[in-house]
Amino acid sequence: MKQMFQTAGEYCQLMARVFRRPEKWTIFWRQFWIESQKLIIASIPLLIIISASVGAVIVIQTASNLESPFIPKYYVGVMARESLVLEFCSTMIALILAGKMGSSIASEIGSMRITEQIDAMEIMGVNSANFLILPKICSATIFSPLLMLMSFFIGLCGGAVLISLTGIITLGQYADGLQFAFRSWYIFYSMIKMGLFCFLITSFASYYGYYAKGGSLGVGKSSTQAIVISSTLILIFDLILTKLLL
Amino acid sequence: MIEVKGLNKSFNGKPVLENINIKFKPGECSLIIGASGSGKTVLLKNLVGLYSPDEGEIWYDSNNFTSMDLAHKKVFRKEMGMLFQESALFDFATVQENVMFPMDFFTDWSFEQKLERVNFCLNRVNLENVNNLYPAQLSGGMQKRVGIARAIAMKPKYLFCDEPNSGLDPTTSIVIDRLIQEITTEYQITTVINTHDMNSVMEIGDHIGFIHKGHLVWEGNNKQIMDTDCQPLNDFVFANNLARQLKKNSSV
Ligand SMILES: Nc1ncnc2c1ncn2[C@@H]1O[C@H](COP(=O)(O)OP(=O)(O)OP(=O)(O)O)[C@@H](O)[C@H]1O
Ligand SMILES: [Mg+2]
Repeated sequence: MKQMFQTAGEYCQLMARVFRRPEKWTIFWRQFWIESQKLIIASIPLLIIISASVGAVIVIQTASNLESPFIPKYYVGVMARESLVLEFCSTMIALILAGKMGSSIASEIGSMRITEQIDAMEIMGVNSANFLILPKICSATIFSPLLMLMSFFIGLCGGAVLISLTGIITLGQYADGLQFAFRSWYIFYSMIKMGLFCFLITSFASYYGYYAKGGSLGVGKSSTQAIVISSTLILIFDLILTKLLL
Repeated sequence: MIEVKGLNKSFNGKPVLENINIKFKPGECSLIIGASGSGKTVLLKNLVGLYSPDEGEIWYDSNNFTSMDLAHKKVFRKEMGMLFQESALFDFATVQENVMFPMDFFTDWSFEQKLERVNFCLNRVNLENVNNLYPAQLSGGMQKRVGIARAIAMKPKYLFCDEPNSGLDPTTSIVIDRLIQEITTEYQITTVINTHDMNSVMEIGDHIGFIHKGHLVWEGNNKQIMDTDCQPLNDFVFANNLARQLKKNSSV
């Protein structure tokens, strides 16, 4: 319990140093694009594979569970759309990104900490927290909602490809289902969730990296902690946001 | 001038530095010598504010550095250059970008001006054609020299070097020592150097402090060090056979 309050306190202190006006905007934007490459663009291939296969699996499972003649076939499309947009494309993708982004951020910053690179920046008078962390948080929070959208479309396409290969239902029925009782608010809701989750991932991973100690062993530990804590927080905030926004 | 007043520092209840009082003057190379683990690095990190003293104060001229807030410290830090024991070069940046890093933040120079300064600093540490290599592609001694180039890039008023020539061959070592001494007198820098290299001590030791088990037990210069009666210092200076022989011969 005491540990928890201490972590919370240190985290807030760090964030207070992160959210400052950058010394030079040109440097900030340069770092921002570099981080966007590393965090967002580099996650796209993984995202495509996972979203497409999950989209296809949802279609198979729903179709094989809908044996009853009273439920119309287009319901497969409705189910695919709803499960993708409500949970999979934000929460599940965020959990996967917590592993990918979280460990890379925590180990990058952590190794800079233990090799005194962060100290070297501080000695120069550079706000290392602001320079290293702010671009990461900004690029992940701003661009991750687009990742969510992308994952959604690719998931739906995955379902469509499976249908056209197997013919469980017709593509027309699938398309009808996708449009049936469609609420665009759900998409916004999911984008908001994704942005918040990626904020949590990047800020906590940065926090654990920034305070890493104890050699390379400590770096490993900090990246594990980053993943565990950010995954837990994602699940908690998923509950809270679902309660609040739906 | 930097003044250390009654500095105490311990880690987890284990005292590392006890009641250190020492002054470092501008235009002078001050050397901190002492055995491995005696607390040299800890002293240096207290001076620059990476550690905060348990007791005691660090004064920069007439400013109490210890009690300053971060924003204020930053003003002083822009005038500090530091070479870390393990170099602490940024892995994500090339040699050129490493040396240019502080200039990017705190000058409005054009790229050409910055490049000129980078090349000037790299030349002074005898490095050529390494601008586009990454730190991981350099030898330990080369990394050290890049570290020095980065430390002097912004023409600091205060220069701190943690073992500037460990891992360097004797010739380069002397080149680095002379370089540090030259810029120290030329720009009236306050320079503090940690070392256990006796060559540097004899070469550039204008002012020497000897730390033994966390205490400052001796202060003087490189002329006085040869005939001191401080026993731990004698053990330190005459640790090797050659030095003992020389002393014996000179005393006969
Ligand atoms: N962050 C720390 N936490 C705990 N103990 C530390 C820490 N830093 C240094 N020490 C302890 O302080 C003592 C002095 O360490 P320091 O690094 O200053 O030695 P040194 O004189 O620089 O030695 P060397 O010449 O080998 O670099 C050591 O006993 C070390 O265990
Ligand atoms: Mg040391």
